[in-house]
Amino acid sequence: MNIRILLILTLLTLTTHASAQVKGLLQLSAIKGDSQPSWQEGGVGLYRYDSDTDGIVLSQGLIDFRADLSSAWSAHGVINAHQDPEPSLGVSQAYLQYKPLTRSNYKWHVRAGGFYPLLSLENPDMGWISPYNYTNSAINSWIGEEVRTLGVEATIKRPGRSFNSKHSFTFVGATFKGNDPAGTLLAWRGFALHDRQTTFNEAIAFAPVASLNTPQLQWQANQVLPFEEVDGRFGYYAGVHWDYLKKSQFRFYYYDNNGDPAALNHSTGQYAWDTRFASAAWLYKFNAKTRLITQVMSGNTAMGEARGVDNDFYSHFILLSHKMAAHRLSVRYDYFEVTDKDDWAFDPNASHGEGITATWRYQLTPQWQLGIEGSALHSHADNRATMGITEKISQQQISLNAQWRF
Amino acid sequence: MKLFSLLLLAFITVKSYAVTVTIADLDQQAVANAVVWLTPLQPLESKVRPNQSFTMSQKDRQFTPHVLVVEQNAEVEFPNLDSIMHHVYSFSKSKSFELKLYREQPKAPITFEQTGVVELGCNIHDWMLGYIVVVDSPFYGITNEQGKLSFDAPSGDYTLNVWHEGFNDISLTESQRVKIADTALQYQLKQQLIPRIMLGVDEFDEY
Repeated sequence: MNIRILLILTLLTLTTHASAQVKGLLQLSAIKGDSQPSWQEGGVGLYRYDSDTDGIVLSQGLIDFRADLSSAWSAHGVINAHQDPEPSLGVSQAYLQYKPLTRSNYKWHVRAGGFYPLLSLENPDMGWISPYNYTNSAINSWIGEEVRTLGVEATIKRPGRSFNSKHSFTFVGATFKGNDPAGTLLAWRGFALHDRQTTFNEAIAFAPVASLNTPQLQWQANQVLPFEEVDGRFGYYAGVHWDYLKKSQFRFYYYDNNGDPAALNHSTGQYAWDTRFASAAWLYKFNAKTRLITQVMSGNTAMGEARGVDNDFYSHFILLSHKMAAHRLSVRYDYFEVTDKDDWAFDPNASHGEGITATWRYQLTPQWQLGIEGSALHSHADNRATMGITEKISQQQISLNAQWRF
Repeated sequence: MKLFSLLLLAFITVKSYAVTVTIADLDQQAVANAVVWLTPLQPLESKVRPNQSFTMSQKDRQFTPHVLVVEQNAEVEFPNLDSIMHHVYSFSKSKSFELKLYREQPKAPITFEQTGVVELGCNIHDWMLGYIVVVDSPFYGITNEQGKLSFDAPSGDYTLNVWHEGFNDISLTESQRVKIADTALQYQLKQQLIPRIMLGVDEFDEY
């Protein structure tokens, strides 16, 4: 908590300084949730809200700041206020950036701290939220909750402008600590659809899975601290961006947290999961109004000395968004699955599902935006039966949203 | 003051022409967006002109205008009309500078003391590209879609200077001696123009 207070005080000091940019956003939502309790409440529901949260909620509350320390150095951070599962204030991104002005035709910069790998084309708005659907895709819901880089990232860019070319290329490489338990939710909850980003040091609950009562999994907590360092090893990722006139934008990333699946923090009940994945995202503008965004992710995650829990995971989505004057309509289809590869029959991890999400947003003024969203999904998870819940569930969530930004 | 009045008188007596300059390329096609200026070869009667203010805006993550022509020692403001910040810079010989421009926080204008071509970029939005052409003459302008440009200039001998962003070396200009004794001037470029790539960007393209 002391660190948070310090960060907020630092922010307040910085805002009074002339060379800072502070932006913020508040989003209130009126929710009609599903009867299936959300994972945040220890349920198996895959939406952020459930019928217990029906009513008005603060769905996003964030401050996104950048403070320039010199020509090349800047400090960046995002502070998030959340009402669910408990009222909390946290930091989802905090990093220093070194981006020198250079005469060279190649541009480069380095980031150090806690930040997202830029593998999503769905979340370009402030504080890594989406300007399209309110509820993120299964892929980026998972990135937002279990993936964060606590390390150093270097980027070198070959902008088309410098070469009078229609093509721009960016190469990214990073190494990091932490992020060892990433994969936990995929094993025991599966993919979900939401926009609840995890802040540093936050824990995410999931349903009381029966297999955690077995001797093999007795040390595993019934929650995940996704950014914790467990095994002392460095992870890495590498990415490439290829833009054609900004009309077509392609990103490919390979991520490996290099987790030692045998490593365990007894006091927090967190294992290091050996989690690796490849992600390919593509944005294509048919014209200035209509665009397609699609992303595919495929990976593997395993924990335990003999990789007792060993799962493949896969998801893709297709999002179509059309803007007409102050209106934006976005429709997305998601498919997601987790395949159980290990022979621990007492711990079934397989799950799969699909969802459709439709969102209409209306930009009232530059500050105010109104929107409505409906989302439906059905999912199947093998471990639900052991908790006395039907393996296959269907869910719906409707939200009316008012967003204010400054 | 006396000298000034004399000069002013002299100026009034010199005949002035409304000159139309037409710029064509190697294929005799009209060249739009060419910067043209006439540098007088004879001492020009100094004319008191009002202090002109120039602006190079950043709007929708582009420089607006894309090309700005100013007279030597002109002051140029860089208003940021976007809701995000820009980090404008130039490494050009005639003016090297950087400006961090936060929304709604205007910075003092920049004075361009030396003639030449100033290429502008943004360290945050690396597609942004703009030019400020600093000239040593009050007779300047940019050609329209028909490759034409008009200005009033007193009769006499001049150097006609032309610059275009499609030049092979954008730090160089083409020039030719001309005599203003008529109302029409033609100039054909000596080089093939390189088509410049322009990007259409929107608010979500900087992520």
